[in-house]
Amino acid sequence: MKRRTKIGALLMAAVLGMGVLSGCGNTPASTETPQAPEASGTESTETGGAEAGAPDISEEVTLTMYLIGDRPVDNDEVFAKINEKLKAEINATIDVKFMSWGEYESKYPLIFASGEEWDIIYTADWCFYNAQATKQGFWEITQEALETYAPMTAETIYSEAWEQAKVNGQVYMLPMNYKEITSYVYMARGDLMDKYEITSVASLDEAEAYMDAIVANEPTLIPLDVGSDYDKLFVFDRMWEKANWESEEKVAGIGTWQAIGSVSELDDTAAVKGNYDQAEFQGVIERLKDWKDRGFWSKNAVVNTQNNTESFQAGKSALALCNANTAKSIYAQMSTEHPEWDVRVFDAQDGVPPILNSYLANGMSIFSKSKNPERALMALDYLRNDTEVNSLFCYGIEGKHWEASGDNALVSLPDSANYAYDSNCNWGVRNDANWRVVEGGIPGLEELNEVWKENARSRRYQTFVFDDSSVKNEVAAITEIFNTDYKLLGLGFTDDPAGDIAKLKEKMTTAGADTVYAEMQKQAQEFLAAQGE
Amino acid sequence: MKKTAHPFLRDLKDNRVKWLMIMPAAIVVILMCYIPMGGIVLAFKEFNYHDGIFGSPWVGLKNFSYFFQSGKAWSTTRNTILYNIAFLCVNTTLQITCAILLSELAGKYFKRITQSVMFLPYFISWVVVGAFIYNMFNYEFGAVNSFLRTVGMEPLDVYSNKAAWPVILIVVSAFKNVGYGTVMYLASIVSIDGEMFEAADLDGATMWQKIRYITLPCIRPTVVILFLMAIGTIMKGDFQMFWQVTGNNPMVLEVTDVIDTYVTRSLLDLQEFGMTSAAGLYQSGLSFILVLIANRAVKKVEPEYALF
Repeated sequence: MKRRTKIGALLMAAVLGMGVLSGCGNTPASTETPQAPEASGTESTETGGAEAGAPDISEEVTLTMYLIGDRPVDNDEVFAKINEKLKAEINATIDVKFMSWGEYESKYPLIFASGEEWDIIYTADWCFYNAQATKQGFWEITQEALETYAPMTAETIYSEAWEQAKVNGQVYMLPMNYKEITSYVYMARGDLMDKYEITSVASLDEAEAYMDAIVANEPTLIPLDVGSDYDKLFVFDRMWEKANWESEEKVAGIGTWQAIGSVSELDDTAAVKGNYDQAEFQGVIERLKDWKDRGFWSKNAVVNTQNNTESFQAGKSALALCNANTAKSIYAQMSTEHPEWDVRVFDAQDGVPPILNSYLANGMSIFSKSKNPERALMALDYLRNDTEVNSLFCYGIEGKHWEASGDNALVSLPDSANYAYDSNCNWGVRNDANWRVVEGGIPGLEELNEVWKENARSRRYQTFVFDDSSVKNEVAAITEIFNTDYKLLGLGFTDDPAGDIAKLKEKMTTAGADTVYAEMQKQAQEFLAAQGE
Repeated sequence: MKKTAHPFLRDLKDNRVKWLMIMPAAIVVILMCYIPMGGIVLAFKEFNYHDGIFGSPWVGLKNFSYFFQSGKAWSTTRNTILYNIAFLCVNTTLQITCAILLSELAGKYFKRITQSVMFLPYFISWVVVGAFIYNMFNYEFGAVNSFLRTVGMEPLDVYSNKAAWPVILIVVSAFKNVGYGTVMYLASIVSIDGEMFEAADLDGATMWQKIRYITLPCIRPTVVILFLMAIGTIMKGDFQMFWQVTGNNPMVLEVTDVIDTYVTRSLLDLQEFGMTSAAGLYQSGLSFILVLIANRAVKKVEPEYALF
């Protein structure tokens, strides 16, 4: 017995050791010492040698570029053509890697910490730009570097875009050179609309009537299958924005959306409040609860892993809510695969002016540990500005995927199913100078576009960037609440809206929301003062 | 005069076979546990990619205050400990019961087959178990609810029912782990000296008396050792299980969130490596204290079984 105990103890010691220490498993394994190619203006001009402004490109390099999405079938063919040109011009080629929409939120931050070698990545204000820039994940693009390595960009970049990209006065991204508006649309099944004599689904009320008909008559369909991480708050957003736009105070969001803060655009003192403290909040939550109770989305919506457009495409739901670009990219495919569905697209803005995006809504950045940041910048210069390379990336191969129609339009060819228009995460290099619209897309969308463009507006605090360094712990606690309690309310999962809103408020106060909002107000006032100058 | 070798070197020479035997395990522990332990410093730093783990600036205990400020420290610690205690009690009881039942079974083939079938779930991935659960309990098209509807009963809304989840988790944990533990206890039952049972038979003992007075006392060392090993992991939630089976469902997080899932979720949401390391370190620290306490307790009752 004694003997067995000894062996047991030994075994146990090993197992316990692992158990106790497993906590460190969360830390990234990379222990390599930082060896950052901190490029400064002086260094870059020196490497230019005798001939200033002509960077050294004698060594051939392969640049790794990360894009978000799934690899289009013809991606390699398109990039073979792009690389041909890049090889000739700057002696570099690009190797593209993809992370899918389903995993980008977790994978994106990890590739920075993993010690993997890569150079260029897609980024945006909604896609970790601020977070990674403040953690020094990106290579700083100085004015000198821009002029030396990206002369075409230096000449064409909108000066507002360059200013917007500044984080603490430094630029880490080349924002798109393209004026974009974000507007939402409903995609509905024409066959079902005709069956239940519904003529239009262009407002919340009309959508409600349509979904009512589906719940009553189509037990195999979920009306609107929201609830994945991507679209948990889509319906809430539509209702909330409408309520805000129609409110007297013109309430608008401020700071990162996880902070749940909002402010009246008319208030020059910029008093920041939690959304839950705004008068309209409870009404919106009550309507969401009503919709949920009537079965407009699944009772398991919170554990959904498929987003609502995917469900709609798969024929599992009767309505999709998405932005106009998403609708554009899936409309053609759906019309060919399921002509019997007679998919129709309607304006989901419901009177709310669409947002004129900041330029940071799409952009490209260079990894701070890239071995060849200068060459990466040169490659980006070509991707953005060279008409041939830019068109290849944005639309595919001319004559195979598309055909020019005048100077500003194109016609998609059947092969575009393998490289769809404007959908290979090329948004960061969009350039107004080379832009072409698709002819013969969604019927009526062009007219809608005109209306949207006319009404589109920038929000007062759209370019305001909240520096959370002094209230990090509070923001972290609030983010947790945002991801759990707040998103649940946003899907209408509550039995007692007033009571649960009060609970949310209490939790937020405990988490330190007041400190965060006070800091946000202070910074917003500075922001307004700086704008007034 | 020959110099005497260092005692350690002499031991190395005398017991070289034993040293060789322990080497693979030692290498694994050093490589996977002790070396990554350097990463603990991250809990006291504000991590940035550029400076890396060791170059990033120190921030003292700031990262820890986040965990407590979030209001989650207590509830996740409570869940972790309570779930593990429940798993430990339920699984150990079931494992011992099954082992005794199996040992009493006569049919050799039936015994073997039962044992294998019970063992099988241990190899099923939690992802698959999570899919089972979803397809059984989802409100609109789940198997359970479809059945309830066809027999004219009200469907159950399991995914928003907090009371259901502790039960589901305990059941799936048993489903996966009972077979594995049963084999361990079975092995220890088989190694009991058969003469004791023969003697008991001669004295006219019933089956119950044999179990009560021979089997149970004889497997007690195994029970104690396995129990002690479990204490060491009592602060460690089975991450895969909690993450996959509940689908990270915010409706019931209050009763299903354990430290491991909380750390992972915050890491994904916040990308604050320092804060999440701090939560991990808190977990390891508590774990360490629990091991010390458990060991002290065992020492008092059964000094022979104590770890150190």
